[in-house]
Amino acid sequence: MRAVRLLLLLLGVAATAYGGRLLLPQLGTTVPWLIGGPVLHDLLVAPLVGLVGLALGRLVTDRLRLAWISAGLAASATLLLVAVPLLWRPPSAPPNPGLPDRDYPLALTAGLAVLWTVIAIVLVVTAVSRRVPHRPTDSS
Amino acid sequence: MIRRPGFPVPEDFTAPSHAPLVAARLGRWLGVAFGLCFVTGLLSHYLQHPPGWFTWPTRPVNLYRLTQGTHVLSGVAAIPLLLAKLWSVYPRLFVRPPVRQPIRLCAHALERTSVLILVCAAFFELVTGLFNVAQSYPWGFFFPAAHYAVAWLAVGGLLLHVAVKLPIARVALSPPSRREKTVEAAATARDDRDASGRRAFLRTSAGVAGIAVLGTAGVTVPWLRRVSPLAWRSASGPQGIPINRTAAAARIAVPQDWRLEILWPGGRETLSLAELAALPQRTANLPIACVEGWSAAARWTGVPVVELLRWAGAPTGRPVRISSLETIGRYATSTLPAAHAGDPLTLLALRINGEELSPDHGYPCRLIAPSRPGVLQTKWVTRLEVPR
Repeated sequence: MRAVRLLLLLLGVAATAYGGRLLLPQLGTTVPWLIGGPVLHDLLVAPLVGLVGLALGRLVTDRLRLAWISAGLAASATLLLVAVPLLWRPPSAPPNPGLPDRDYPLALTAGLAVLWTVIAIVLVVTAVSRRVPHRPTDSS
Repeated sequence: MIRRPGFPVPEDFTAPSHAPLVAARLGRWLGVAFGLCFVTGLLSHYLQHPPGWFTWPTRPVNLYRLTQGTHVLSGVAAIPLLLAKLWSVYPRLFVRPPVRQPIRLCAHALERTSVLILVCAAFFELVTGLFNVAQSYPWGFFFPAAHYAVAWLAVGGLLLHVAVKLPIARVALSPPSRREKTVEAAATARDDRDASGRRAFLRTSAGVAGIAVLGTAGVTVPWLRRVSPLAWRSASGPQGIPINRTAAAARIAVPQDWRLEILWPGGRETLSLAELAALPQRTANLPIACVEGWSAAARWTGVPVVELLRWAGAPTGRPVRISSLETIGRYATSTLPAAHAGDPLTLLALRINGEELSPDHGYPCRLIAPSRPGVLQTKWVTRLEVPR
């Protein structure tokens, strides 16, 4: 394993150095975009996710329900992130027929509506199916 | 567990999503997604800037459509996977450096540096890629060069990260029987609850990645065209195919006396559009597959380039340089490799889906070859040149 790790280390250093050399002419303009991701994530996104998780854990005590609601929130956040370049478009690009392909705010709303409808159905179905087999033991 | 409030330490994060097993699994999935992105991206780069040793097959005709679709969709899948992975390892951000132990401090610094490079590069690649597919460029750098350079940083950071973490990942990913021996075997109620919590987190991450792919895959998967709410392109557009660069944007004015010129060492031939249309025509179903990952197939009709060269008496079996009426821009010319130039499906197309090419599709004629990036399917062709 030592040899494998050493090889990975050498390859990693070589690839990083090559990438750095290629990036050198554009370093000034790319650095804010390189640093921006981790800074935004570590100082803003992750603490926010943690707070939402804590609050949700207090509000929803059933673990299965909590898992589905968290999954819905994660999926919604991801769809919103993927939609950012489509919803917020600086008008620098020349007009391209076929590019603003659909009404993205409407499509996103519809997508989120489908997602949460599915989750609501799953929650109702699991709640009902859980109640049915338990009833005889509850009444006894 | 009462601690005075202050800067958090890793032990404050007790959720099962922060377990090494979760981080290792997500790491493996991300490794696959980034690996696919890197390999397909490298292929696309070599197709557009071919080194001498590089060859690319002309079959299947959808090959580039497949590799570039994979590139973009594995990038989309990597967005939720990266966020899940970062959430899983977020407690590690608060590890205090071992300041009093110089050797461990060096190892700690190396680990932090490699992770910083990897995370910076990973965010950069995903964010710039996502903006590029929407053809939105809210930055000052040249996208293709920067995206390519940072891909090497990402792969380098990834290799360094794996080198550092391999022992931990091996233990975490080994089968449970081995892991129990290595760590501990006690199966308490809390362990069970943690195990189901870990599974739930991993399933959610995989499911969200699937939703993100489903939400965008309509750019290249025909039956998802109307399903994916966030597809940045579909098959709509003039004559059934979207346009990336309009005739107006390329400042194209087709001269009244337009003639196609064929040049080769020791010879020259020209044809008018009517003469070109009078030659034997061939119809082929070929995709336009763009670097932005969208693709759509159309029925193209025109003269095979190899037949045209034969008709003119020019040599075949060599690369052919194609020039456009477009004089500005990086894609005014393209070079067909010998394999593509000799392929009977490589057409100088005059018609699309049964209609004459519209100005935006490259009237009077355009190149359409199998298994090539859309940017190299030169429009408004004015000259074919067989170099020495």
